[in-house]
Amino acid sequence: MISLPFWNPVICIIAFVILIAIAYLFRSRGQKKYKGGTAQTEVFLSGEAPPAAEQRHVKSHNIYWGFFQALKQYYDPTVRAHTGIINDFIIWFIAIAALTALILLITSLI
Amino acid sequence: MSFNSFKRALWAYHLNTGSCNGCDIEILAVLTPRYDVERFGIVLVGSPRHADVLLVTGPVARQMVSRLKRVYEQVPDPKMVIVVGNCGIEGGVFHESYNLVGPVDQVIPVDVYVPGCPPRPEAITEAVVKAWVKLEKAEQGVG
Repeated sequence: MISLPFWNPVICIIAFVILIAIAYLFRSRGQKKYKGGTAQTEVFLSGEAPPAAEQRHVKSHNIYWGFFQALKQYYDPTVRAHTGIINDFIIWFIAIAALTALILLITSLI
Repeated sequence: MSFNSFKRALWAYHLNTGSCNGCDIEILAVLTPRYDVERFGIVLVGSPRHADVLLVTGPVARQMVSRLKRVYEQVPDPKMVIVVGNCGIEGGVFHESYNLVGPVDQVIPVDVYVPGCPPRPEAITEAVVKAWVKLEKAEQGVG
């Protein structure tokens, strides 16, 4: 008999609430005298002017870099196939429809 | 001496605006076991946003003006500025250099001056204590 690990959602919720309370306690002990809208709340970059938020944040696309890199040999042909020309898409559509019909025909005959 | 308002440790941020590194070495000496100001709760921090005191060494080079102003603005109030060394006070041996804007107090307000080339660690420690006393008074005024 396989013994399942103990699982109780109530305990998870209680643990989550306790963690939030601890985080709030740490936050409430922090410096309260920062003046909002001034350099005091800006990012510190060794005295350099901080770039705009869009420029200094890591783009979400970067998270998937490894995924795209690992599957490059599959993506490259498909990306090349997506020319953006409607005629090409229609050709693909007809080809796939014909292939599907052929498969259905063959399987019905077997 | 007793501190009533400013009860936490005093955190200082060190900025070199063009120093020859002599004063910077003396600031480090203040932290060594021989002087060890950390036992009084005085520590160097890595960000002005965490600091109470700004320690500035060297005359202000032209390229450092905007950086010095920005770092000063990033220190939360109340804040104190200590200038360590002759160069930051009046230019020192670099006073006629073409690339200097001038002493530190021409760019940001200064509270405590520590003369010397470089000043001894005892002088720097005394300056920090003076800044702490001023900060104590400022804290009482703010709070």
